[in-house]
Amino acid sequence: MPDGSVTGMLQRSRGEGFASLSLQQGRVRLGTLRQVGSAKVILPRSHGPVPEVVFLNTSGGLTGGDRLSFGLDLGPGATAVATTQTAERAYASAAGRAELRVDFRVGQGGRLDWLPQETILFDRSSLCRRTIADLTGDATFLMAEMIVLGRAAMGETLQSLTLTDWREIRRDGQPLLVEPLRLTGAALGRAATTGTQRALATIVLAAPGAEDALAPVRAALPEGIEAAASAWAGRCVVRLMAPDSLPLKRAVAQVLLVLRDGRPLPRVWQI
Amino acid sequence: MADPLLTLVQWLSPAFPVGGFAYSHGLEWAIAAGELRDAPTLAPWIEETLRFGAGRNDAILIAQCLAEGADIPALAALAQALAASRERLVESMEQGRAFLAVTNRLTGDDWPPMPYPVALGAAARALGLAPVTVVSLYLHAFASNLVQAGVRFIPLGQTEGQKVLAGLHPCISALADEAAAASIDDLGGGAMRGDLAAMRHETMEVRIFRT
Repeated sequence: MPDGSVTGMLQRSRGEGFASLSLQQGRVRLGTLRQVGSAKVILPRSHGPVPEVVFLNTSGGLTGGDRLSFGLDLGPGATAVATTQTAERAYASAAGRAELRVDFRVGQGGRLDWLPQETILFDRSSLCRRTIADLTGDATFLMAEMIVLGRAAMGETLQSLTLTDWREIRRDGQPLLVEPLRLTGAALGRAATTGTQRALATIVLAAPGAEDALAPVRAALPEGIEAAASAWAGRCVVRLMAPDSLPLKRAVAQVLLVLRDGRPLPRVWQI
Repeated sequence: MADPLLTLVQWLSPAFPVGGFAYSHGLEWAIAAGELRDAPTLAPWIEETLRFGAGRNDAILIAQCLAEGADIPALAALAQALAASRERLVESMEQGRAFLAVTNRLTGDDWPPMPYPVALGAAARALGLAPVTVVSLYLHAFASNLVQAGVRFIPLGQTEGQKVLAGLHPCISALADEAAAASIDDLGGGAMRGDLAAMRHETMEVRIFRT
């Protein structure tokens, strides 16, 4: 199995990290906390009005055979920001694929901002991720997903990879927005796919009246990178592409500033 | 008894009043931006739209509609949620609505407005044709409509346009085979720049196409 690549140094990992938060007497409180294997959930010591939940994969990256799940439930009226401690790395897979599940529930009147750091895909990586957000009633969900195809600064070019990254937002059980990103080596670098870009982002605001964000979001889109926004029926979607991770992250940060009414980004974000 | 293949050909012919000519799937932006300027730039863009974009997803949705016990309302909801932008939803819903307005009258069905691929898939259930046949004819009509957008707006000669379309036949057949064997979990794509073109079309000041 070890072939001299980084794959051989990693052990197959399993992990589950889950937390539930609820609003009690005007404060967000921790209900359940479950941490198994290589998944950790870092919660703030004292909960401010908007707690920041940080998920961490202690195995240092994903490779074939790994199974990891993160989950967060927000009760009615509860608001939180969730992110990841570092960029997630999908390394070359000698066999099989890495599977990552991310499940959220946001109760009536609640709001979750899911702002993970970027996912970096290495050559010959195989990652299957499913992110499902179940919203109730008028709950708000903001999601920013960034994918980096190799690291340009390290001279990495991807030849082959398999990414199936299913993102689904449901409201009261009905699908609201489904974006099943699916990339293989054959899809990369074509005019209608990724072109010359190696860093891709999708930002989605799912909220009643999300269309109102369209004009300010368009005004915030930076020059010099490929980006556009669209909004309809309680959704505002922004897509951005850049030559590398840093310019993408900066542009995403600019858009998030608008969609989060000027609130700062999670402290762990490295920009 | 009418020949089901001829019925399908009629439904998917450019003369069937779904108004396909009004929708460019974002091509208008890419042409105006100078990215698509001739047959050699148009052909791969359409092929990638088929293989990595809406073409493949539509194909899988149609095949799912034709499967035994298909949950058409659930597939319609999923197809709507898959829309990558406001205009993509308009394109799919408006064509589906126009399609069903006619086929409901022709067949006596009573389907509510649904996205175009699901509308076609639902109506085609009664035809009893092989999914590969329904999907390939749909993809052919989809590709032909995009080629025509290129022919009119780049512009290209009619023969050049037909050459581009003929060149897409192997891709269409391969996708139809793939879709017939696929499941819902196989949906997906990576036509990010195609999606961006559709989104950027919304802010074009002068537009001939609705999308």
